[in-house]
Amino acid sequence: MAELVPIAILLGISLLLCSGILLVTQILGPKNPVPAKLGTYECGVKPEGGAHIPFKSSFYLIAVLFLLFDVEAAFFLPWALVYKESLSEGPALLWAMLIYMGLMAVGLIYILRKKILRLT
Amino acid sequence: MNALDVAISALKAIVILVAVIQVVPVMIYVERKVAALIQDRPGPNRVGPLGLLQPVADAVKFLFKEDPIPLNTNRLLYTLAPFLSLLPACLVIAALPIADKAVLFGKEITIQIADLDVSLIYVLAIGSLGVYGILFGGWASNNKFSLIGALRSASQMVSYELPLGLATVGAVMVYGTYSLREMVVLQDGTLGGFLPNWGIFYQPLGFLIFLISSFAETNRLPFDLPETEAELVAGFHTEYGSMKFATFFMAEYMNLSTMAGMMTVLFFGGWHLPWITDQQVLDWVGSQNLLCLIQVVTYISKVAVFLFLYVLIRWTLPRFRFDQLLHLAWTNLIPLGLINVAVSAVLMYLMRGPA
Repeated sequence: MAELVPIAILLGISLLLCSGILLVTQILGPKNPVPAKLGTYECGVKPEGGAHIPFKSSFYLIAVLFLLFDVEAAFFLPWALVYKESLSEGPALLWAMLIYMGLMAVGLIYILRKKILRLT
Repeated sequence: MNALDVAISALKAIVILVAVIQVVPVMIYVERKVAALIQDRPGPNRVGPLGLLQPVADAVKFLFKEDPIPLNTNRLLYTLAPFLSLLPACLVIAALPIADKAVLFGKEITIQIADLDVSLIYVLAIGSLGVYGILFGGWASNNKFSLIGALRSASQMVSYELPLGLATVGAVMVYGTYSLREMVVLQDGTLGGFLPNWGIFYQPLGFLIFLISSFAETNRLPFDLPETEAELVAGFHTEYGSMKFATFFMAEYMNLSTMAGMMTVLFFGGWHLPWITDQQVLDWVGSQNLLCLIQVVTYISKVAVFLFLYVLIRWTLPRFRFDQLLHLAWTNLIPLGLINVAVSAVLMYLMRGPA
């Protein structure tokens, strides 16, 4: 745990810094709110409808796909750590990872064939 | 851990944090001067000699600006977003090994805020938290431009996280460790007698993937789709002003210097001078502290080269279209990253030493 203490210290300093610079401008800056200043900016004309418009579902799919592939890619990291030491023990780890990578590639090819990323 | 250790850690944290924050004004000046050079105009030249005080003037102006919170916004998330954007950018620098160690007051002090065993994973994990700030800011602003910018930014950052991770997998395979400090130590000396023993010569494709992904992760041109001035006004920070806007700006430049630092550490030998081992330098200068100073200067020069590359590319390349950007990630970079890992694995197996 001792090596985490410096990070806790850095977290404290960063919190102070972030809140500090945001507070200082609250104190130093002038305060003159007028309705035009507080309105939503839409190129100077009156905003048309609400801002939280429906957006394309592809964005949601990208988030889901990222979740899947990031979990898959995370399995590479522990493998990569021990791979160099395991080289003398034959190709078992290499085959295991190549098979796993093949499965991942099948998933990737599937989503690309489905044209999920086509945003237009 | 006694009080002296805690004091030293605090001092290191403050010094390194302030140093990284100093990158922001320097980069603003360099960026504006290079832009001016490329567009054939003088650039900032009124404030101070050669306009050198321009970033200071900007910072002071930001501090003295009114900071209104627009109506119709989600006040909590709107105020929280700049915070959430800058905080990860400050935290992530803890893992970067800047130099080996100095000896002060009879104590060995490593020039790194926290020497974690898993510093590579720490950088990837904390670095990706910045997307929350952008997403919250864009959604809470209650502005169509902001919302679209935030959505683009989020999907771009998560898409390019995968190739970034896969590129680091290659580096982990070569070094056999997660610790950035140990990686740098392993890059000492020469490779085959005529090349520096740097990661780029083991993982050239990995470096290329890392470089391209780092442009997208930091929302820089040619991948600055979240804030395309021409179509989205200013993207996710359209509704922000005063210091809140400056906070997003600072976070962007600090992330940039972190990425440059990561490339230096993973692929360009960190604090090592090319072709010269640490031991040789130590023999010449004869003092651990002088060696440490040389290492710090080397590290900073390498980071500066990468930062300058970012600036040059920003002002020379046009912008991608958003679907092209996603296609580049999913159809090119991720398969390339997988191939890089597979080919490296096979080559490492074929070229393994005798057991």
